[in-house]
Amino acid sequence: MTERLANDAIVDRAIEALRRQSAEAEVFLRDSATTSVEVKDGAIENVLARGERGIGIRVIDEQRMGFAFTSDLSTSGIDECVLAARSMSAVTEPDPDLRIARGDTDEVDLGILEGVCDRSVEQRAEAAFAAERAARALDARVTGFRKTRYHDGRSTTILATTSGARGSYGESWSGLDTSVIASDAADRQVGSHARASRRSAEIDPEAIGRYAAGIAVGKLGARTLATQKLPVVLEPYQAMSLLGAIAPLFSAENVLKGKSLFAGRIGESVASASVTIIDDARLSGGLRTAPFDGEGTATRQKTLVGSGVLQGYLTSLKTASRLGAEPTGNARRSSYSGPSRIGPSNFFIQAGREDAGALVRDLDRALRITSLLNLHTIDPISGEFSLGVAGDYLERGERQYPVQGITIAGNLLGLLASISGVGSDLTFGGAGAGSPTLVISELSVGGT
Amino acid sequence: MTLTLDDDKIEEAIIGVDQGAGIRIRVGERQNFANANIADADDLMTLAARAAASVAEDTETERVQLRPDDVPRTHDVLVDPRTVPIPRKVALLRRGNDVARATDPRIHQVTVYYGESIQDVVIANSDGRYRTDTRVRTNFALIAVAKQGEVLESGFEAIRTSRGFETLTDETIDDCARTAARRATKNVDAEPAPAGTYTVVLSAEAGGTLVHESVGHGLEADLNLRGMSVYSGRIGEQVASPLITVIDDGTDPGQRGTAALDDEGTQTQRTVLIENGILRTYMSDRKHARLLGIPESGNARRQSFRHLPICRMTNTLIAPGESDPAEILASVEDGIFVRKMGGGQVDVVSGNFAFEVTESYRIRDGRLAEPLRGATLVGQGPKLMSEIDMVGRDLGYSTGTCGKDGQGAPVADAQPTLRIPSVVIGGR
Repeated sequence: MTERLANDAIVDRAIEALRRQSAEAEVFLRDSATTSVEVKDGAIENVLARGERGIGIRVIDEQRMGFAFTSDLSTSGIDECVLAARSMSAVTEPDPDLRIARGDTDEVDLGILEGVCDRSVEQRAEAAFAAERAARALDARVTGFRKTRYHDGRSTTILATTSGARGSYGESWSGLDTSVIASDAADRQVGSHARASRRSAEIDPEAIGRYAAGIAVGKLGARTLATQKLPVVLEPYQAMSLLGAIAPLFSAENVLKGKSLFAGRIGESVASASVTIIDDARLSGGLRTAPFDGEGTATRQKTLVGSGVLQGYLTSLKTASRLGAEPTGNARRSSYSGPSRIGPSNFFIQAGREDAGALVRDLDRALRITSLLNLHTIDPISGEFSLGVAGDYLERGERQYPVQGITIAGNLLGLLASISGVGSDLTFGGAGAGSPTLVISELSVGGT
Repeated sequence: MTLTLDDDKIEEAIIGVDQGAGIRIRVGERQNFANANIADADDLMTLAARAAASVAEDTETERVQLRPDDVPRTHDVLVDPRTVPIPRKVALLRRGNDVARATDPRIHQVTVYYGESIQDVVIANSDGRYRTDTRVRTNFALIAVAKQGEVLESGFEAIRTSRGFETLTDETIDDCARTAARRATKNVDAEPAPAGTYTVVLSAEAGGTLVHESVGHGLEADLNLRGMSVYSGRIGEQVASPLITVIDDGTDPGQRGTAALDDEGTQTQRTVLIENGILRTYMSDRKHARLLGIPESGNARRQSFRHLPICRMTNTLIAPGESDPAEILASVEDGIFVRKMGGGQVDVVSGNFAFEVTESYRIRDGRLAEPLRGATLVGQGPKLMSEIDMVGRDLGYSTGTCGKDGQGAPVADAQPTLRIPSVVIGGR
């Protein structure tokens, strides 16, 4: 039988093997377990108990980086991974700015690990059923569900380097998502919504069901709009999706390689003066909160855009060294199976002072967006975007009729500059992004 | 293994192993799934015991005799990428970088990827099925960034197949690099595409995002079980123009979505989904074939042993028609010519879809005129499919990674040159 090692012993074995090779290296372990219960129309469809456990080893040999990963955590699997990482470093070219972390990380309670919370399959399913019941209760035109899913999970992350740095943390999360179908004699529409939280008690199934049902019912009878330029209202969930598309512009990697429209613009105005953008991996209970990043750098809060002015970039050890700056702790690891990539943590537009409803009532005519199609095709290099949208046509804040089969288009820089209203309703979504309601003074709308 | 050249430097070299198993137990219509990393048979037995715990103890059990059998391979892998020395792979990255940079002085950054993956699968089930498959995938991709003044634009092209290293020759690499560079440089001085409703000609070269988004997803059996797709309950009905035939072909030799078996061990096949505008069947897994009373089509796919198989596309195409592609272009007085499509998305419930156009030109008096910057096309699947009024006799492929229910799957899509009389284009 193969020898089985605990997480800490796996990391220790890898570090010892790497030290014997006299290699400078970092070992990252993640061990996660999630349970999902998928229901549809009041019946359990799927129960999934998923586990993922593996290590990723990054070797820096003569300033050349090699990376290997494995989910074979037998002693021989670990040893082979060490050798593979070492051999891959011979393939790459030297980079004088490559670094591994030195020194331990701090121990700090960031509210990301819930105490024991063992729910039965039935209790998890009940949360999903509650969302479906609430959706049906909202409107008789709610006729079914594509899928409703409750999921929760926990994971352990350990990071250690041959130079003696070591840190670990545990985290947990719960979430619920649903796709509600609404129908009438002439039309059928879907509305989706998802929430997640570090604490299961914060998941409100009824509110999620009602929100998704509201979108689906609201789209029934949607028409198209004439091609025109219109003010656009982005509710928090749509605004945070677009904010996510802007995140790569802050990456120091992209800036240094000439692939960011923010290169060379620190101290300049890059957004409307009402916009302040913050990245905060220390936000208590945040979904992207962690004490250290994927390279072992302690995380911190930073203001990236302050009242419209670009103040800084997101950096890793390598890019901070090249820029001659302190690393911001934004080398993120999505999994053990790849090296860190620069990315945001809890990334949000600070709340404004104005009531979102009042902002909308000030607009004679506007397009309020409730669904965006093709977000993944936004090119962060050019900043160009063109998206399919569904939503409502508004006059003085009053909904006139739902619209779909239309587009909005522009450039991300133009979008940031034309934010004319920032609501006080800051809301965080599933991927750690947050935004209040935003009003864009004008966008091109494509239709008939 | 993946190798990345960025900023003129071989920056990343990554190699890894993922091995494990997933066990699925069906109780009535409920599926219980558990997975784990597997180092040896003990791990597998531990996983089996954990999965079995979800079934009541008094369930009757019987011993199943596994019956191994062989399914014909769709094509041969001539050069296993693992046998090719790494310096040869590095040379390809450098060649792509050099060719792209030499194309135009405005090319100011290039990223080149090489990737190889070998997936060994064993599928066994309680019907006694025991089948194995090895899926080799060889990928090369290049992103070129062009800069003119303050304007940045990127261009992408990839070679992604289920063949071996034989697909990556100096010629195919050069062609890939020049194409990506052309897309980037063309876009930096192009006018924004207009916004509004236009006649559009989709070149065969544009790839198959349209068929994937506007029709393909809506024909996946799981979405049709409870009437969730615009195509639900419509087998035998006219759902598209008589010019339109839609096929999913998991056996298409060497294509990115090709495999001998699907991930339930069902042999893949060529399935006619829509024949001359008439809906014939859906893409199914075993569960939905049974529940819908349609044949198993070998479309159950999973990202890995950590995921449940779900109904999805392999290589999906609109079959060639009879029109001369040049005549299709010449027939349009004022419109938009789409030479390359990017990614797309569909809402299968309403049929509304969007797909990205990454290379396009204005058509004036039946000829290609000025280039246009990127835009999205939006429409409603069945409506668009019934309006297409010219279908070319050519066929062009594109490759991608399709996302559904949080799982990625390698796919290819193809279509001939098509004329769409009127569709919304989201320019400025």
